[in-house]
Amino acid sequence: MIPESWRAIATTRLLAERRTIAYAFAAAVVVAFVQPSGLAAPLFFCGLLGVAVALTQGPGRHRHLDLCEESAPLYGRELARAKAIAPCAVAIFASLAYWGSQSLAGFPASPLSFALALAAVIATTMVALSATLRTGSARLLYLALACATSAIAFALAFYAHSAIGEVAFCLLVALIALRQYGESLARYDPV
Amino acid sequence: MREAQFLARGTPVGPVTLDVGLGQRSARVYEDARDASIVAMLAAGIVKANAGSVLIDEYDPRVQPVHCKRVVAFVPHDPLPLDVPGVESYIRYRAALWGIDPTGAWAHAKLLLERLDGVHEAFAYPLAGALIAAPKLLVLDRPQPAYAERILAAAGPRAIFSTHTSDAAAQRFETRARSVRLGVVPT
Repeated sequence: MIPESWRAIATTRLLAERRTIAYAFAAAVVVAFVQPSGLAAPLFFCGLLGVAVALTQGPGRHRHLDLCEESAPLYGRELARAKAIAPCAVAIFASLAYWGSQSLAGFPASPLSFALALAAVIATTMVALSATLRTGSARLLYLALACATSAIAFALAFYAHSAIGEVAFCLLVALIALRQYGESLARYDPV
Repeated sequence: MREAQFLARGTPVGPVTLDVGLGQRSARVYEDARDASIVAMLAAGIVKANAGSVLIDEYDPRVQPVHCKRVVAFVPHDPLPLDVPGVESYIRYRAALWGIDPTGAWAHAKLLLERLDGVHEAFAYPLAGALIAAPKLLVLDRPQPAYAERILAAAGPRAIFSTHTSDAAAQRFETRARSVRLGVVPT
């Protein structure tokens, strides 16, 4: 069962990002019609959308929501999980839009292909979340790590033909990234 | 707060020493808005002191941040953005963050908003949202002096700490308020 605080944070942030959701959805549909076949396009493009949405969760864009959440009696790990729901949900919407558009364009992707792309997109988004609390070279490093996550996931799925390996890698990266984000949030000073 | 200093991210702030007892009011004036904001966030346990100590109801925000945040409410200086979906949704959101029954919180908020009649919604809603958790200490970051009477009426007898950037504003909240030059411990 999802705690009420997580639900409140996720829905409020999704409402605040409703325009971003619309843009991500539209972008995924357009790109899916341009490049409807293959695993690389949905995996990398939706991963990039996930990175972009994760970066919008950074301090400053929704200052009042940030301060409400940081002044609430929540541990860093709880706040991290709740805050991760919104960008991951947007990344999932975008991946679904891409998958649906592939079918409409006459190149339906298999459910396995969708699952592989989705796993990579979620892991990439989670890694990018840690970049929001950093500046300068540390921020660039996390963004590079997010891109590397997509690349490794694609290599495992496409070149190594290991679907289980790809999903396991993405799951491990997502869990480590979420834990890291929670630790960072607990130490973060919103100044 | 004893000799509390914030040393990260730019110009150091502090040392700050202050003591706010149950039901007391304290208003401090600082030279610039950044200092005032950081001191308010130190008092609310949102920002952690790099040196010195901060105790909120005997809890240290560096060790027990959640315990601190259960007894203190923070109201930021900036007004609530106008794209908030509605006052009831906003109050329910705040109630969920604090783990409060949303129906009771909304009833409480309506009473508070009656007391805040005349205060602009962008300032009244965050204050009502902060007070529904019935905190022991209310921390106000540079509150609007024009609304001082209404804010104090809504806050009731609980302890209030406010930061300001002018003496006149501070005196609206606490008649004995005085300027504090950071780096000098007030006597």
